[in-house]
Amino acid sequence: MAETVAIPERVTVVIAGGGPVGLSLAALLAEYGIPSLTIEADDGYCTGSRAICMSRRSQEIMGWFGADAPLVEKGLGWTAGRSYFRDKEVLHFDMPHDPAQRFAPMVNIQQYYIEEYAHDATRRHPGLAQVSWSSRVLAVEPLADASRTGASRTNASRTGGVRVQVEVNGTPRWIEADWLIACDGGRSTVREAMGLQLKGMQYEGRYVIVDIEQESQRPVERLAWFDPPSNPGSTILMHRQPENVWRIDYQVGDDEDPAEAVRPENVLPRVQSHLDMIGETAPWKPLWISIYNAKCLSLESYRHGRILFAGDAAHLVPIFGVRGLNSGLDDAGNLAWKLAWVLRGGAPESILDTYSSERVHATRQNIAYGAKSTEFMAPPSYGFSLMRDAALRLGVTDPSVRSLVNPRQSSPISYEGSPLNRRDGLHQADAASAPGQPAAELMLQRNGLTRHLTQWFGRGFVVMGLDLDEGTFQQLQSMVATMTAPQGLPAPDVLQVNSSGTGSGEAWQAMHGGGRRYAAPQDGAIYVFRPDGYVLGRWAAADMERARQALAAFHLS
Amino acid sequence: MTEQDLDTSYTSLCEAITRVGESRAPLFLAMLSLSLIARQSSAGDVLALIAQAEKNSAE
Repeated sequence: MAETVAIPERVTVVIAGGGPVGLSLAALLAEYGIPSLTIEADDGYCTGSRAICMSRRSQEIMGWFGADAPLVEKGLGWTAGRSYFRDKEVLHFDMPHDPAQRFAPMVNIQQYYIEEYAHDATRRHPGLAQVSWSSRVLAVEPLADASRTGASRTNASRTGGVRVQVEVNGTPRWIEADWLIACDGGRSTVREAMGLQLKGMQYEGRYVIVDIEQESQRPVERLAWFDPPSNPGSTILMHRQPENVWRIDYQVGDDEDPAEAVRPENVLPRVQSHLDMIGETAPWKPLWISIYNAKCLSLESYRHGRILFAGDAAHLVPIFGVRGLNSGLDDAGNLAWKLAWVLRGGAPESILDTYSSERVHATRQNIAYGAKSTEFMAPPSYGFSLMRDAALRLGVTDPSVRSLVNPRQSSPISYEGSPLNRRDGLHQADAASAPGQPAAELMLQRNGLTRHLTQWFGRGFVVMGLDLDEGTFQQLQSMVATMTAPQGLPAPDVLQVNSSGTGSGEAWQAMHGGGRRYAAPQDGAIYVFRPDGYVLGRWAAADMERARQALAAFHLS
Repeated sequence: MTEQDLDTSYTSLCEAITRVGESRAPLFLAMLSLSLIARQSSAGDVLALIAQAEKNSAE
């Protein structure tokens, strides 16, 4: 990167690590007008494709800083997959197409594009998000925390913070930051500097990843082979990426030396053998080779005073659950609005404890989900190995066991038990829309215009009046209008939705039956969503005062 | 059985087989099979499943 940046002595937010999570966090903060300085050791985006499967939620979050369009344009969406045992197909799944959804369930794209799109987004706010390339964090010194003495609601308190020693183009210097966010990956320097350790376990089974460039006519699907004739005893996964790239993962034996396993003379023949077997005959060349094993590791807390951890610096989850980068972006999405609210005096610093508790809770769910997939892809013990063999062999003729071969269907992460959740005021409505749940997507139509509910998120709080009569909705609008956002932050949005989808006028009609997930029979309802698209609280229309109180906690009214 | 229940049962069985170990596994699985067979409604289905497992387990 050619740009050089003059580093000030005091910055509001230092982000250690300019990978996809760090740069996305910088972009999200810039959307709130919050300045940041990102310290990145490399001189540009990552090489090699690393993370490739972007979930629906990640696409939504990238939309919060305007990067969803290039992502969808470049990426390859997929909904289907096939699994093979030896030479027979045992499973073909196709995720049902949900007409109400805005994004494909998964999109494949190289990680360096994610970094580029996030970096481009930061440049749309000149002067706000600065990136210092070829720079690294050397040391970290938390300053005495004066915020506990009661100054917690003051605007950008100049007491407390962190001193960070950074080396820029070989020259070390100290910076003072109000907040340091560690997004510096699996071998986080900040984590080490703080003497913190990831806790958990790792699986033994190792996989080589190799990206190759090869033209193909195959449709974009997740492909898995168990014990294929091309590589007996191994498991092979293939994913298509943009620009004619195949991602190939294959399992290596427990007795193979990892350093030997990644040597091209050991990798390329196995790849060739498999390509021959599946009939991919176009010329090909290798781009990148690496090796991994599945990990289930996390810090116990992602907040340490003015130092916060996100992405792989905070947690490592098994690759087979495809929730590594996706959970890192989800961290950034949870953190950005909270940090913005704190910095603008709209919330006490203690709200950042909920960042830690919610995302630690999410990591546990992600690890459990990833472990399930890992148990099948890299059976950890004799019992799992034997039963996988049984499931695959039976699966060839017996449909009733095929769901075991399927990558586990993912359910969205919930923040059940979070202190931010208001008490559920609408028990009669679907539990899937209760406080602490992510807002289920709605496709909304009004006067010939179509929008999705998730398009309202990523800014301020969102209030949804559902099936309210006109008078009540006007009352709701007036109430929301009394809420002043902290300076520089977005005011709350309010929208009127008709759950049956058959009305007209000013209300948005919820299409394809989506309104059923929110509606309370015989009642109008009020939903308040957090900026990150999670349900803060929900109430019957008659309890509007409770909705007001929930909103007022984050606004000046 | 729901997919969730199938998953729970499958995982529990994997863990049990690991605990009893390779040498005890055949006896354990024989006993489990018998418990499950005894709870089916007729021999017809069971014999078909026996035939399927015998066929699909061949090298």
